[in-house]
Order: sequence, then structure tokens, then C-alpha cells
Amino acid sequence: MPTESTDVYDLKRQIERLEKECEGLQQRLSDVERDRVEYLQNVSHQIVAPLNAIKWHIENLTETRVSIDRAKKVLRSIYSQATLAAHLAKNFRLMSNLETEHALSALKEPLQEVELCRLLVNLADDFQPLAWDRDIKIVVDDNPFASAPPVLAMRPLIIQVFSNIIENAVKYADSGTTILISGEYVSGSDCVVVRIKDRGISLTEADTKKVSQRGFRTDEAKRKYPAGTGFGLYIARRIIELHEGSITCEMRNLDVVFSVTLSVRGLEGKARTRSAKDRSAN
Amino acid sequence: MPKTVLLIDDEQGFLEPLADALEYEGHRVLKARSASEGLALLKAERIDLVTIDIMLDPGPELAGSVDEHNAGLFLCRYVQKNYPKMDAFCISVVTDVGLIRQIEACGVRFLRKGETPLRTVLNMLRSRLTGLAYSSEREKRRKDDAGVGD
Repeated sequence: MPTESTDVYDLKRQIERLEKECEGLQQRLSDVERDRVEYLQNVSHQIVAPLNAIKWHIENLTETRVSIDRAKKVLRSIYSQATLAAHLAKNFRLMSNLETEHALSALKEPLQEVELCRLLVNLADDFQPLAWDRDIKIVVDDNPFASAPPVLAMRPLIIQVFSNIIENAVKYADSGTTILISGEYVSGSDCVVVRIKDRGISLTEADTKKVSQRGFRTDEAKRKYPAGTGFGLYIARRIIELHEGSITCEMRNLDVVFSVTLSVRGLEGKARTRSAKDRSAN
Repeated sequence: MPKTVLLIDDEQGFLEPLADALEYEGHRVLKARSASEGLALLKAERIDLVTIDIMLDPGPELAGSVDEHNAGLFLCRYVQKNYPKMDAFCISVVTDVGLIRQIEACGVRFLRKGETPLRTVLNMLRSRLTGLAYSSEREKRRKDDAGVGD
């Protein structure tokens, strides 16, 4: 039978162990807190920077005399900064939903037919003013892309996937280069493949496997654009996974090529199953 | 009298309006989008005033030897050491008080990017470029003369 002093000794040991555990947890908590603050600072900088740039552009227009041509250029810059701000705001909204499985249902939208070639042409036009700021041209090769059938997808999410890849390309491509977007229908797998090619960053094979990991950025990317978060391609991958498609990255000579594959009918069957269940539940 | 101003910033959205406004006032404006480019222009040109961003692409020549999160601090120190009489401003979003103290210790005036209106930045730069004290009244007269209203 244990004596009173043995009980006290055991209790002391237990308290010491708990104190150590508590210290470890406090350390982990402060690490998480530091990461969280860094993340929020990055997010806030990225969203606020284009808005502040817009303010400076507007001041520039209202405070100085500018020619019509110059005013048009300033307005194009305002447009490109607004595109960037809207794009980033959508990304951060998506980010919070993509982090947890239960929140994914909040993202689910009705599937609809999406003509990828037309969508990519619109996005290329939307991002071109931003690209011009860096003397970069965005070209969509519509042959044979335009003849590809539509894919069944959640349109707003698919827009964000390609926005993220294009914005990434615009951010990291070298000045004076061209971003080439192409696509084709692959009848064997009933898929549409979209390829986005740019030249600017050199990736190792290991990097190409990691580019869509949450927060991953290569040293070269950090040098070229210090304030990035490494979330754009992660969001793109998660959305493509929701569609049971695939996204890959590879180096072809000096070019970085992202390929996104989406099935023409991939989620159609599941959508039918879901609506049948919904009907029976009602 | 026109002066030569070097703007070192990799954010086009801030670089362009500032460059425009200074060019409108008749100054010669040089632009650098990385610390390496900025360094090359500092060495090659006769610069009257420089503005430096802090979170800046180091560029190929300085990659590896300068931290990308404060490549601008390297430039502030370089200017202090090599061109102590040059007017220098730091226009950056950094909020770290310790870092801002290091910038100001180089004799570089810190202005927070985004929070500071373009007109305030211009007034400050103008005051240094002309040697006249900062005056919002003179600024108002200048705009009245130019026929630009508020």
C-alpha cells in the first residue's frame, strides 16, 4: 500500500510532466500565432496594395494635367489594379472554405456547361492590361481549342482556377515575353486539356511537383515577388480536385507549362445521383 | 530647375503615378524595379533624390547576398555610406518599428506607402528638390496657378 509521501512524490512528478507539456503547447501556440500574423499581414498587404495604387492613380489624374492618351493609360492601370484586387479578394474567400472539408459544401454550385476557350479568351482580356504594365502579351491559340466541347463544371470556381494560373504567369513571366494559352479535346478520355505556358521562372522537377502545395514558393519566386502567399496554385489544385480533374506543371525547355484536364462529363453522373437523392429526400 | 529622381520600386501601381507626377513637374525620372537595377543607376547616374521600397526583388546581382524582405534596407545603407548628401526617401508598407528605426538611422525619411496620399509624398519630395520648406499654402497657390482645383 503506497505511503502518503509516495503519493505526494507521484503527484509532483505528474505536475512536472504536465508543466512541461504545457510549455510545449504554449510554444506551439506562439508558433501558430506567429504564422497567422504573418499570413494576415501578407493577405492584407496584397488586397490593400492594389486599392492604394488605384488611389494614387486617381490623385495623379485629378492633380495634374494629363493628355487624353496619358489619361487612357492611367485608366488602364486602374483597371488592372482593380482586376487584381477583385481576384485576390475572391481567392481569400475561397481559401477559408477550402481549408476544411465541412466548409467545402458552402462552395458547391450547380454544374453548368462551360466553354473553356471562350472563358480563357475573356480572362486573357481581363488580365492583359496588368500584363501590359510588364510588357507581357497574353495570346489564346483558339485552334483547335475553339472546337472543344464544353465541360460540366462549377463556373465561378473554374474561373478562379484559370485566373490564378494566369495571374501567376503574369507575375513571374519575364518582361517582353508571351503567355500562350492553348487547349484541345481528347476524345479517348472525353476530356478537355488546357495548357498555359510562360517563361520567367526556372523550376526543378521537384519544384514542379510542389508548386500547388499550400504556401510553397521557390526561392526565385520569393526574390521576384517578395509579398506573395503561395496560395493561388494551391486553390487552383483544390478546385480541380473537387471536379475530379487534374493539374500538372512541367518545364519544357525554358518554359513553365501548366496543364489542366477537365472531364466533359466527369461530374455529370454524380450530379444526377445527387439530384435524384434530393428529390427522394423531399 | 529640373532634377534627376531615381524611383526604386517593384510595384508598378505605385511607381507609375509617382513617376508621372514628377515628370509633369519637369524632373527627369529614372525607374528601377529591383535593388540591382537601382544600384546600377545610383553608380551610373548623377541622382539628386532617390526613393526606395523595402520589400524589393534583389535582382540577379544581389540575389543570395541580400534578403528579399528588406533588400531596400541594403540600398538605404548603401546611399548613406556612398552618397551621404543625396536626398533619400523610403516609401514602403513595412510596419516593423525596429526596421523603420534602422531605415531612419540611415538618414532616410520614411513614408508609409498606401497610407500617405500621393500629394503628400509629392510635397515632401518637392520640398527637398527645391530646397524650400514644405508648405501646403504654397502648394495650393501652385495648383491655383496651374488651374487645377481640389
